[in-house]
Amino acid sequence: MTDIPVLEITNVEKHFGGLVALDSVNAAVESGKLTAIIGPNGAGKTTLFNVITGILPASAGQLKFQGQDITRKSAHEISRLGLARTLQIKSVFNGMTVRENLWIAAQSRDGVFKPFQRASKSKRANETADRICEELGLSALANQEASNLSYGDIALLEIGLALATEPKLLLLDEPICGMGPAETEQTVAKIQELAKRIDIVIIEHDIEVVFDISEDIIVMNLGQILARGTPKEIASNVAVRAAYLGDDDA
Amino acid sequence: MTPTKVHQLGIIALIVFTVAAPWVLPLFVDSFWVDIYSEMLIWSLLAASVNLLFGYVGLLSFGQALFFGMGMYGVAIGIAKMGLGFWPAFGFGTFLATAMAAVAGVFAVRLTWHYFAIITVVFSLIFYFTALSWKPLTGGDDGLPFSMPPIFTFGEDVKLSLTNTTIQYYFIALTVGLCYTLLAIVLRSPLGRAFRTVKENDMRASLIGLNVYLVRLTAFICAGFIAGVAGSLFAFFGRYASASYMFYHVSGEAVVWAIIGGVGTLLGPVVGTSLLIILREELSHVWEHYLLLVGSIVIIVVIFAPRGLGGLWHGLVNRLASRNDGTLDSSEETKL
Repeated sequence: MTDIPVLEITNVEKHFGGLVALDSVNAAVESGKLTAIIGPNGAGKTTLFNVITGILPASAGQLKFQGQDITRKSAHEISRLGLARTLQIKSVFNGMTVRENLWIAAQSRDGVFKPFQRASKSKRANETADRICEELGLSALANQEASNLSYGDIALLEIGLALATEPKLLLLDEPICGMGPAETEQTVAKIQELAKRIDIVIIEHDIEVVFDISEDIIVMNLGQILARGTPKEIASNVAVRAAYLGDDDA
Repeated sequence: MTPTKVHQLGIIALIVFTVAAPWVLPLFVDSFWVDIYSEMLIWSLLAASVNLLFGYVGLLSFGQALFFGMGMYGVAIGIAKMGLGFWPAFGFGTFLATAMAAVAGVFAVRLTWHYFAIITVVFSLIFYFTALSWKPLTGGDDGLPFSMPPIFTFGEDVKLSLTNTTIQYYFIALTVGLCYTLLAIVLRSPLGRAFRTVKENDMRASLIGLNVYLVRLTAFICAGFIAGVAGSLFAFFGRYASASYMFYHVSGEAVVWAIIGGVGTLLGPVVGTSLLIILREELSHVWEHYLLLVGSIVIIVVIFAPRGLGGLWHGLVNRLASRNDGTLDSSEETKL
């Protein structure tokens, strides 16, 4: 691994009118570690993801991905650099089949402005779509419209969309929110497996899961970074316990 | 029989009917229906242009008549004012419409939904009034008539021209057929899938790396091209151009044809356009308020069959197929 952090956030601010959603956030995400962001509702976690991925422009500050400035890049440009994400409110292409969903994400790497080529002849995108279907256990549903999938499968497909773009860094926004126990276990195992080859930053409310899988935890509150450290350090951090975990024994 | 086979049979039937129409139609109805059928084919392209934007990219345009009108004026001005021959005039009309779409598109596709619809209306109104008042060039209210140049001449005797009704019919049918073939090729390409992806979820599309703006702009220019070909053909068909075909009324009619025929299906616009033109031809001189009926049909279709007659047809074919072999095929290859 190189010395450059995979993601570098410097003095990033985001204002919505008078509301300060992100207040000079500084953080560097190291490669090779699974990083988690936790914090109460409204802490600015999703806003931070939105600013990183170009959905919202930063009001101030700088963002670097693998040493490259991405502060003013648009969402599709950032995606092409290899930064993928999932959304908190699960979102896939409902009217398309599972396979078509994954296919277009894979094809976006090779370009879509090919009006006279047959889509079904795109070898690489076809293979990628099939491989990810298999990897996520969605092969049996490959020809189903995404709108027919269960909630858990939609969440998996959304991770699949991100994977099909062959990312170097993957931002997951509450990937297991709303899943049953069995689905949660399966998805967590999947995330851990992915973390071995892709850098992952995860926003998650399930503290047990976070402490279980992450090596580096960032705690946010009121648009600022409150604390950062290993799960052990965070569990014993007094400020964190006051703001987030509650005062009584954790 | 698989759904794909059924759809292929449907297309073959449509092609056979179109080829045979000049002989078959006069056996059953008055021979002017051959002319009306070529008119339907032309207008269906305008509906196809609405359908490409609304059904495949999710942009509802009420201004496609602008590009239709540009095609018409391109041909008429090319022939009457610039002395162009048949093919250069055809090319000029189509080019003018496509270029207009590129210019309007740069501004329009920044917006979506009602704002997009409004800006397309505004664009077409601007050019409608321009065409109306720029009398020396466009003929204003009176329109701009021209005399038909030959398609092809060889020496003194061999001359091919649209003044021959059979040649005119086949020229129109062939050109319209080529446009639908082109459309089918594009819709099956990676670009066509990108259109549908953007329609489904533009935010998600940008997050997987699609340049949503550029995808929409490309679709808008393609739609302008199709409307332009339709307008050029209609100029040849009527031997004149008129600003009235640029009015947003005409755009609105194309939206209705597309919705009734079925947005998001390739040949839905042909069905919708044909049906409503038949209604107009048969009912308008019997009952002057026949548009009440058209309105009612639109309301019923929008509520009970939001994907139009094309959507009903697909549902039916898929249901019959799944009854036969128990599988449901929802892949795009069958959605013709």
